[in-house]
Amino acid sequence: MKFPSRAAGFTLVEIMLALGLTAMILGLLSSGVYIVAEDWNRNSDTLDAQLDEALVVLQIDRALHGAFPHSFTNEETISRQLYFVGEDDYLSWVSSVSPQRDPGLTAWELYSDNDSGVFLSLVPAFSDNPRERLSLAEPRLILPGYTVEFAYLFEDTDQTKVWRDEWYGEERLGLPLAVYVKFTPFREFEDSNDPVEIVARIKSYEHRSIRPLSNITFQ
Amino acid sequence: MTTKLATPNKGFTLLEVIVALTITGFVLGGLFSLVGGSKKLSWASEQSLLRAANVRAATNFALLENEFNEVEEILTNFDYDIRPLEIIEPPLRKTQASRLFLEEYEIVNPDTDEIILGNRWVQLELPQ
Repeated sequence: MKFPSRAAGFTLVEIMLALGLTAMILGLLSSGVYIVAEDWNRNSDTLDAQLDEALVVLQIDRALHGAFPHSFTNEETISRQLYFVGEDDYLSWVSSVSPQRDPGLTAWELYSDNDSGVFLSLVPAFSDNPRERLSLAEPRLILPGYTVEFAYLFEDTDQTKVWRDEWYGEERLGLPLAVYVKFTPFREFEDSNDPVEIVARIKSYEHRSIRPLSNITFQ
Repeated sequence: MTTKLATPNKGFTLLEVIVALTITGFVLGGLFSLVGGSKKLSWASEQSLLRAANVRAATNFALLENEFNEVEEILTNFDYDIRPLEIIEPPLRKTQASRLFLEEYEIVNPDTDEIILGNRWVQLELPQ
């Protein structure tokens, strides 16, 4: 006579072996998934950041190409002045390109500090000097880990074109022929990031009525 | 009845289970490598965006030389070399001598074998 229970069923050893194998395989699989997912997230973040940086560079390129000889009245001297403040590490200009949907002219301000990176401020340009409103605007960190340098193309009296490291619209009564921008990564990021350069030709470098004084040269 | 119960539906053998798991592993591995491939693609596209910025700088500089003679060199990225090519053939008849001519130029990156061709106006020293 046979017991039915003897035919079916596993021994304790078999069950433990099966459970052990299953657990091991599941563990391996889930840790694999975890590693891949983690890697994916980290990559996505840096990728997003770098895509943003590339787009920001193209946007600034466009805004510089669209630089506009914006004029305003100086309240003290009652004279018309052009707005364009360019130094070797600071640039503020008015552009016909606005990054958002707002129509009209926008005042842009670009500078970098030595800890975090390149900052940008944007305000609409009305008929007055945009400098004060720019100083109230909240600067946004657009390129973390980069410093910025500028140069301005100047036509000398002998018609040679030289790059200068400063340009003040109120003195020159015109815009530079072109602007050069160089974003250099901080020293600790030099291996992973390359410097990025922009050359922007300013088409409307002359105001419609304000004319530069003839034969002015840099001291 | 007791004899029927003695042969119930059989379970899987260890071999079968191992084969099944291996197949599952291959399928999952294939999926992961697909995912990784798409990631690589997006990295490449990001690289090409930055390259586009560099090419823009080189092209804009080449076009600056289009409008102005003797522009001081400023670009520090030497991956892209701006090379002037020959002047496009002048017209057979001219009413007067001119100094402006169309010139072909190319922007070459020797590392990636990229070549970008373009035309620009150049001003010659002497009217022809």
